[in-house]
Amino acid sequence: MKRKILDFPLQHARLVFIGLAVLTIGLGSAIPSIQVDTDPENMLSEDDPARVFHNETKEEFALHDLIVVGVVNEAEPEGVFNPESLARIHELNEQVKSIDGVIVRDVLGPSTMDNIEQAGPGAIRFEWLMERPPETPEEAIAIKEAALRLPMLRGTVVSDDGKSVALYVPIESKDQSHRISEEIQAVIDGFEVSADEFYITGLPVAEDTFGVEMFKQMAISAPVAALVILLLMWWFFRSFALVLSPMIVAMTTVTITMGSLIASGFTVHIMSSMIPIFLMPIAVVDSVHLLSEFVDIYPKHGDRKAAIKEVVGHLFAPMLYTSLTSAAGFLSLTLTPIPPVRVFGVFVALGIGLAFVLTILFIPAYVAVLPDKRLAALLSSKRDASEGGLLGRAVEAVGAKSLRYAKPILVLTVAVIAVSGYGISQIKINDNPVRWFKPSHRIRIADDVLNRELAGTYTAFLVMKQDIDAEHDIVAAGDEALADASDGVRSRWNALKADARAASEEGDTTVTDALIEATSDLAFDTTGEESQLWQNVQTALEGAQTRSKTFQNPDHLAYIERIQREAEELPLVGKTSSITDVVKTVYRELLSGEDKDYRIPATTEGVAQTLLQFQSSHRPNDLWHLVSPDYRESAIWMQLKSGDNQDMMAVKTNLDAFLAENPPPEGLRAEWAGLTYLNVVWQDEMVGGMLESLMGAFVIVFLMMVILFRSPTYGVLAMVPLTITIVFTYGLIGLIGKDYDMPVAVLSSLTLGLSVDFAIHFLERARSVQAETGDWKDTMALMFQEPGRAITRNAIVIAIGFLPLLGAPLVPYNTVGFLMAAIMAVSSIVTVMLLPAIMMQIQNRLSPRKERAPTGSGHAQIALATDKEQTT
Amino acid sequence: MKTPTKTPLAALAAAILLSTLTIPAEAVDLTDASEIVNRTNTAQYYAANDGRALVRMKIVDAKGRSQRRQFAVLRRDVKDGGDQNYLVVFDQPADVRNTTFLVKKHANKDDDRWLYLPGLDLVKRIAASDERTSFVGTHFFYEDISGRHPTEDKHQLLETTGIEYVVKSTPKSTSGVEFAHYTLWINKKTFLPSKIEYVNPQGKVYRRIETVRVETVQGFPTITRLKVSDLDSGGYTLSDVTNVQYDLGIPDDIFVEASLRNPPQKWLR
Repeated sequence: MKRKILDFPLQHARLVFIGLAVLTIGLGSAIPSIQVDTDPENMLSEDDPARVFHNETKEEFALHDLIVVGVVNEAEPEGVFNPESLARIHELNEQVKSIDGVIVRDVLGPSTMDNIEQAGPGAIRFEWLMERPPETPEEAIAIKEAALRLPMLRGTVVSDDGKSVALYVPIESKDQSHRISEEIQAVIDGFEVSADEFYITGLPVAEDTFGVEMFKQMAISAPVAALVILLLMWWFFRSFALVLSPMIVAMTTVTITMGSLIASGFTVHIMSSMIPIFLMPIAVVDSVHLLSEFVDIYPKHGDRKAAIKEVVGHLFAPMLYTSLTSAAGFLSLTLTPIPPVRVFGVFVALGIGLAFVLTILFIPAYVAVLPDKRLAALLSSKRDASEGGLLGRAVEAVGAKSLRYAKPILVLTVAVIAVSGYGISQIKINDNPVRWFKPSHRIRIADDVLNRELAGTYTAFLVMKQDIDAEHDIVAAGDEALADASDGVRSRWNALKADARAASEEGDTTVTDALIEATSDLAFDTTGEESQLWQNVQTALEGAQTRSKTFQNPDHLAYIERIQREAEELPLVGKTSSITDVVKTVYRELLSGEDKDYRIPATTEGVAQTLLQFQSSHRPNDLWHLVSPDYRESAIWMQLKSGDNQDMMAVKTNLDAFLAENPPPEGLRAEWAGLTYLNVVWQDEMVGGMLESLMGAFVIVFLMMVILFRSPTYGVLAMVPLTITIVFTYGLIGLIGKDYDMPVAVLSSLTLGLSVDFAIHFLERARSVQAETGDWKDTMALMFQEPGRAITRNAIVIAIGFLPLLGAPLVPYNTVGFLMAAIMAVSSIVTVMLLPAIMMQIQNRLSPRKERAPTGSGHAQIALATDKEQTT
Repeated sequence: MKTPTKTPLAALAAAILLSTLTIPAEAVDLTDASEIVNRTNTAQYYAANDGRALVRMKIVDAKGRSQRRQFAVLRRDVKDGGDQNYLVVFDQPADVRNTTFLVKKHANKDDDRWLYLPGLDLVKRIAASDERTSFVGTHFFYEDISGRHPTEDKHQLLETTGIEYVVKSTPKSTSGVEFAHYTLWINKKTFLPSKIEYVNPQGKVYRRIETVRVETVQGFPTITRLKVSDLDSGGYTLSDVTNVQYDLGIPDDIFVEASLRNPPQKWLR
């Protein structure tokens, strides 16, 4: 079986090439139909309760995602409140209205908001705050002063210091926000140069812009990494033709994997956009092992087919196992509850399997058809490199040292683990899509400036809900009013109820409204006692209806006010807005316009009539962003200065504690919504899920190692490098204070897969060499020759190959680049230095009691046995 | 269909005939857009000398959630097409019952408006601003209720069909209006608009008022069901007018501030 696999590519090279080409072109052709999805909301599954509630809230309160455009002027003493700046802001506002995808009626800005104020004694006025730009500096300042008096605008549209202005541009869908922000930028770019500075930010812009840049990075970072890897391999192996083959394997693996992901109808999320970057090193690693050994063996054989066959035969088992373990590491991601992470895990695992198949099929076929002269060059140039060279000497020297200083190395390792353990305890779990950009990115700058100037560009909502069925209570009030009535009246009432239900089902009216209307008519049409009775029923129904309007009740408004006050005590909550603010503002202007009247009216009727006045403005529907039309649900809008999950979490924890200590009145229920909050939810799930999947993968890999080596001792040894690498890497993250965010979380599975690779190759070879030599000291000396070089080469190729990612403008790519280098460095050092040290310490337990006889074919142990026989 | 050219005399005769409103306008079509709009204004807002009605409004948002407003209206004209007085007394929802508006509408200057809020026991004058603010949270604007003065716009007769005049009206000043222009479809017999469409500066129809039902009350064609749709948000308001009575002899002296606190029950019932 295995022989067949080994022979196949050598005999049917053409078939292999054609098959690969067909597969690559066939699936690769799906790539142009790529659908990018950068919406972190999708980190939660569609039916996740938090996401469902978030979307219900958006629907219920007609909330839309917001692009924030801030205007700051540092040169003018009054900031942007001068005629020229306001003219530009007004113009911008007008232009924004014609951008496709903008919800014009909900744009917040000085030009689109209402002012409500005193107009002389006993008079009140509603008018646009800035219907047209002011003509004089005095008018400009008057606009500022009016805006600062309106709590809904202060801090939100106009900065507290009265210097800056922000427009809030609601958009129909988040995936339009990059385009819309570009169009807004184009309007701004059309303005003549002035001291006005315009900044555009907001979570949807950050998310969507990230998608656009991510797309670019997929086209830049991955190919650049590939190029660097290619050059490094060329330097190591001195044959361009030869090193082209791992690149072909890597490129086709990536193309086929991404192609099949897209062809299966999955969107490319931030996670899956990293698939090429994760697959590339994994695909290259196997080939480098193959080539490394091939260039050593080939000169001795002279027959390239025999040489490559021998090499593949040698490495078949370790490569299969390293592929299986890497795949297991990524498959473990399917244990997380996060859909994009699951897709990522499955397709990387698929890609790893594919890379293995391609490595053992394509590389031999490729080597078989290479022109002789290409390999002839290899014959002469390769000898030096394989015997020594800088790298060879270095590996040998390090190896010798590590044996001599075995004990200090072990002590050092324990120390490193201890420090890393402390580091891990310091890890901060945090994420914020805006921070996916480097501090110099214009979105980050805008974010900094606007969150300094304004109340906050990050939004969360605390929704208060009344769960009791209002209609039931209202009808019951009618029943009660007729408790002592005659049968005739009661049956009339029952008929009314049936009619009302029928009418409400038709959609013409509500049961309550229909009953009130019907009883009102009856009171009018009947006489005497009966008329009085129906009037009583009407009064009872109306009373119950008024009571049902939870958020017209002054006590409940006062409770909301308390929550707001509590929230605003928190340093990161810039501002909160609620129906209470609306009521108090209008009430103040209805009374005197003075601060003393900035309060809640004493009665429900007072509140209702105050709100009726608000609804007589230009923007009556603004009310429904804060309360539902039946007044049974209300939302407190919180503006946060930071979108960090930790900060949002702190706000939630504090307010949840407040709600627990001060329970809401009458069965009111509080729940959280908003994009900033959603990010917290998925991150919680992700961290928990990642830990679980890492543990699961760890156990599976350990079992695989025990099976592969048929020895628990070797199994434990194989786990040493990856354990130390993971502990060290995460310890480092904790120590340098880098947030544990999405990319960091996902890298754990890569660490697992890649670090075990080196250990498998090293242990497997060490054991077979020892079986030859019978002596561990000699074995180790030999291990620092070709096997040590192969591992080191691999580590260097991948570590350096991914350094270009550090140049990407997106932080997650930098993180991956840095960690990839760290993982490679640590796991190769641990493998080459620590494993020998440990093995020397426990050599008595390692030496096999007896020679194991090879039996059967096509199994792992055959590969190991073959390996043994063929090692010279 | 194009309007045939008429002699001035024929046009005059037609105008005289039409002015009675009871005789079908079959003879001659009008060609002067301003005249058409003036007649529409009179037919819609100045029927008889005074009147009373009960108005029920149902506000429905894009999600189908509805709210109700119910109020009684008393009106008395000072001059046809000119000044008139309104008293609006709310009955539903119960929590705003007896909230009252008094409006003294003026042809050539800003209206005088007062407001009484019983829950706060507060009388307030509403200072002049533009009239395109919402009427108590409905999709109607204050101006839809009180009538936009014909002289504020330039009118252009676009088309005359068998039953309708189509008039495009463009505001003389863009200040205080959110539309670029609007188009009226006016019934040739009743001079009531059957449809009005508002076009925003981007050229999109964003708002529509439709006459759903017309009834003749005491000889006056009267719109008894009107629907205004906000095409942007998908919400609409339906207004039903019942108990219409004209020429009750409502006296002028009830349209005073004192009526805000004590509405004249005699005329409201």
